[in-house]
Amino acid sequence: MSLKKNDEMDHNAWLKNQDLTVIETAFLTTLIWVDKRLRIVDYLELLETMYYRANLQMPKSHTEQYDLDNKFWYWYPLYSLGSLSILAYLVAAVSGAMLGFYYSPSTAGAAAQGDPTAAYDSVVLILQDVQFGFMLRSIHSWAAQFMVAAVFLHMLRVYFTGAYKEPREVNWILGVVLIGLTLFFGFSGYVLPWKQLSFWAAQIGVEMALATPIVGEWAAQLLFGGFTLGQATLVRMYILHVFVLPFVVTSLIALHVGIVWVQGIAEPH
Amino acid sequence: MTDDNDPMTDGGTDEEARTDGGPPATVPPDDETPTWSERKENSQGLAQLTYQYFERSRREDEDLRTESTYVERDVLGFPAWPHETIRNLAIASFFVGMLIFISALMPPHFGHPANPGSTPAIILPDWYLYWSFGLLKLNPLNPELAVLDGNILLGNEFLGIIAHGIVFGAIALVPFLNKGSARRPVEEPFWAAVGMTGVVLSLTLAALAIQNFFPFELDLLVTLTFLLPVLCGIITYAVLKTMREGYMYDLNRRYYMLRPPK
Ligand code: HEM
Repeated sequence: MSLKKNDEMDHNAWLKNQDLTVIETAFLTTLIWVDKRLRIVDYLELLETMYYRANLQMPKSHTEQYDLDNKFWYWYPLYSLGSLSILAYLVAAVSGAMLGFYYSPSTAGAAAQGDPTAAYDSVVLILQDVQFGFMLRSIHSWAAQFMVAAVFLHMLRVYFTGAYKEPREVNWILGVVLIGLTLFFGFSGYVLPWKQLSFWAAQIGVEMALATPIVGEWAAQLLFGGFTLGQATLVRMYILHVFVLPFVVTSLIALHVGIVWVQGIAEPH
Repeated sequence: MTDDNDPMTDGGTDEEARTDGGPPATVPPDDETPTWSERKENSQGLAQLTYQYFERSRREDEDLRTESTYVERDVLGFPAWPHETIRNLAIASFFVGMLIFISALMPPHFGHPANPGSTPAIILPDWYLYWSFGLLKLNPLNPELAVLDGNILLGNEFLGIIAHGIVFGAIALVPFLNKGSARRPVEEPFWAAVGMTGVVLSLTLAALAIQNFFPFELDLLVTLTFLLPVLCGIITYAVLKTMREGYMYDLNRRYYMLRPPK
């Protein structure tokens, strides 16, 4: 047996014979490079088979299919509210990650009641010393507000176009969970700078939790780290805001949009 | 290289000596793998029901597909590139642009550091939680729910929490209460009215949360909080009912042109 490599399929020669644009050549070269190493063509084929098995074909758009041309166009922008929620969420995620470089979730450093804490000071640092920091906080805050607004309006559009009816109940329920989590996202972020209103908003949160019978005290301990506010509260809100909620909300959004993809947008008629 | 008859040990040809105890690890040949229909026949109970249901739904899909006038997209309509892509990019950049513009124009306020010792005169969350905050200020309603010697039955805060439960619960229940294929508000004036009531209620509750800013009495505000939404609901209902006749004629014509009755 010869050790010399016997390339039966000379893909590169095939590529050269083709009359291709630069983009096509680059794409094919990359594809061949990866495929020689990982044999991804098998997986792509598998994916393709699954795609057709699941009968996910590109349908005509609604306006085409139902010939709704002039009855429907003025509602159309409202159908982008879900995507705009995602967009605002992305902006908040990016700006939030950058704020995270400078923020420290600690109530240390206050000599007397009412003195600035480390958390407060780190936000002051962002506002005053960090290049572009003032704008960054502004963007993060506004992105959050845009997201909440978009989600509210998205819910209204789904309601008033009757898009929640069978078979989309599950997505509606998922949406209710998502709007709750979005609001909690905002709330936990509001607490982080540990300013007066943060503190007292959190205080109201604890009081609400404690007023609930049976599960109340447990919930207060889980979410706020105790019955009075302090370091534990801040760290819990921090972890919820930058770790737990991002994961949960991102996966739920993926599921939500995945279901929309499989079910299609509710046809307006 | 290795044939099944080739000895795998150091010279011996004894079949028993080939492996270290277990049977040879072979994949069963294809014709021994049961087909789906064989599996169905072999199964029973829940598994069989599952197969039966799958078959039914397959058949349903198949029927729908053969019956439907549904045309797969060819070149009709806007292509994804460049039309849709550019439109989406335009919407997305406008949105992000506005976001950055407003951030630059109206940076958020930054208040004093937390002081557990002094309660501020006005505690407010961000605007999007005003409605929720309003629900916590329903205590003027609470005594009316009281029985037994005017003792309040529920703590004021717990009343607020129950109110939250009712709001979220009601929203979650909507798809199970309102069924049918109607989509447009004119087709179902009642549900549009319910929606408007909800929207206005969320606004009036927000107003209740910032009650200090209103120059009139709290009682009046609480009354308005519930009266205005109902009023708006009634108006919506009346307007849609009036519009309905003419509108539905058009809608039905269009609808039955698309799906002629069987
Ligand atoms: C984080 C929040 C949310 C995100 C990112 C999101 C995203 C989306 C997107 C991208 C769509 C595609 C159609 C469109 O954009 O209008 C969609 C559809 C849908 N959403 Fe949401 N959504 C969110 C919250 C909600 C809420 C609060 C509800 C309702 C309670 C909801 C219920 C639905 C339903 C029922 C559909 C299907 C509508 C149809 O088929 O026409 N979603 N969502």
